[in-house]
Amino acid sequence: MKKIQLSHTLPCVFQGRTDIVSDIWNREVTFEREKLYLVEANSGTGKSSLCSYIYGYRHDYQGQILFDGEDVSQYSVAQWTDIRQHHFALLWQELRMFPELTAWENVEIKNKLTGQQTKEQIQTWFEMLGITDKLNAKLGRMSFGQQQRVALIRALCQPFDFLFVDEPISHLDDTNAVIMGQIMTAEAKKQGASIIATSIGKHIELAYDQVFNL
Amino acid sequence: MKLVWKLLRQHISIPQFVGFFFANLVGVVIILLGVQFYKDYQAIDQEDSFMKADYLIVNKKIGALSGLTGAQQTFTAEDVEDLKAAGFAERVGAFTSSSFNVRARFDVEGFVSFSTDMFFESVPDEFVDVKSEAWEYSAGEDEIPIILPKNYLDLYNFGYAQGKGLPKLSEGILGAMNLKVIIGGNGQNDEFEGRIVGFSSRLNTILVPEAFMRWANERYASQAAVKEPTRLIMEVENPTDERITSYLQDHDYETDEEKLDASKTTFMLRVIVSIVMVVGVVISILSFYILMLSVFLLVQKNSSKLENLLLIGYSPTKVSFPYQALAVGLNVLVLLLAVVIMLMVRRVYLDMFENFFPDFEAPNILLTLCVGVGLLILVSVFNVLAVYSKVMSIWNRKE
Repeated sequence: MKKIQLSHTLPCVFQGRTDIVSDIWNREVTFEREKLYLVEANSGTGKSSLCSYIYGYRHDYQGQILFDGEDVSQYSVAQWTDIRQHHFALLWQELRMFPELTAWENVEIKNKLTGQQTKEQIQTWFEMLGITDKLNAKLGRMSFGQQQRVALIRALCQPFDFLFVDEPISHLDDTNAVIMGQIMTAEAKKQGASIIATSIGKHIELAYDQVFNL
Repeated sequence: MKLVWKLLRQHISIPQFVGFFFANLVGVVIILLGVQFYKDYQAIDQEDSFMKADYLIVNKKIGALSGLTGAQQTFTAEDVEDLKAAGFAERVGAFTSSSFNVRARFDVEGFVSFSTDMFFESVPDEFVDVKSEAWEYSAGEDEIPIILPKNYLDLYNFGYAQGKGLPKLSEGILGAMNLKVIIGGNGQNDEFEGRIVGFSSRLNTILVPEAFMRWANERYASQAAVKEPTRLIMEVENPTDERITSYLQDHDYETDEEKLDASKTTFMLRVIVSIVMVVGVVISILSFYILMLSVFLLVQKNSSKLENLLLIGYSPTKVSFPYQALAVGLNVLVLLLAVVIMLMVRRVYLDMFENFFPDFEAPNILLTLCVGVGLLILVSVFNVLAVYSKVMSIWNRKE
């Protein structure tokens, strides 16, 4: 997939409000491949909504969202599944991990589906992010910051054209935030993909091509 | 899928599934046993299949005085119409008796030779339950198909043969042997081959095809001798119908009481088996309901896991699969165990059947297996669709 277009997209809850000042809502916006974007937002401006609209699990918006010029409102279940497996990777703010499984299993459950990364690559990332000792620990017993790092590894275990990271470093120290940024950009570059990061304050330091205020 | 299963088996309630398993097992066993038992019972019944259970034979009572007063022993056309109009008979047919002389000779080579005067009767062919090829006669043919009362065989085996130290004869041997039939009357005398196609314990007469009777009566009987029927055969829907008994009493008719009882027994058995099977079906439906509730509860409890799986790229089909497999697997297990239990119970009653009826040949269990597999497929399809639609409701939950 080459580009994502938002055409006068607006969450239904904002409908009729005239005080919306946004670079994204109710405008023509295009995200292209091989770029780095930052979406800065205040709380309550619909940052998570944006992710869920693009990721196809909420449809309560007006206007259009187009993938390569095609309106996604009529996408079938199979098409969305394909998008989630092969085109978009998403690191959720709320992580959406499985606390019953170990850190390793949480990554495996995704990588088994796509077969994208080698075992060695995944182990290298665990090492780089300093959580090798947690490989076989139950995810539920890990701190949020540690879980956030596992969640990033899981997000990278698939082919993607766009990588969405929703407040990826909210619970990370600066050192780990930098390492995370390096891993993300390296993988995105390898795949020729874009990164769209959001933040409500502390944002991950990347060489952004464009910054939006939501 | 191993990891997915590891995730989704969380919250599985063993007691619920054990409950479903046994409830469903009971239901399926009852259904299968009902089907099989009825089929086996029918096989016993088969011995008398020349006359179905719901056929009754009616004659007028012969009183001490009837011979003297000259009261009619025969059924007039009005009598027949009246019986038809009474409402309980679906079909009524008349017995035609032979108006000519019949003499039969029966040779069992080296053992014994019978010769006896006898008679023939016929009923309309639709009342005779023999394969059509065996029960056909065309004018002038040498061979006459005959159905004998089982009593005759018993009389020979347990009376005559026993007393004289002769070997007992089975139905099969007798059927293969020749019966010479000499028919005379109207100035003619001919010899025929009698072929015994079967024995009936319901029928107290020597039965030949109606086609033969018509032909022979025309040829050998003097016109004056053709009589009105003395016996009627009727097919009734429900032999336990009170109206039958009262009608017979009112008109001074009689029927073989024992046969009426046998018919009642068969009828009641059919009713009871039906009731039992309905109970089985109800239990199965309820257990199906338990299974669906358990699976739905499981889906509900694991809904956030299911949702996350869907969001990281698992398709609804893949996510549904573990629960579908669980439900279908349980159904298959129940069916297998139910078939085993059914076969075990059947062994017990088949032994009894075989003691009572030495000729009894157990029918196969194909029909029962088909019913079982049919049920399995039906229920499994419902399970699979229900789970999928539940998962789809999670997929669509934010809409």
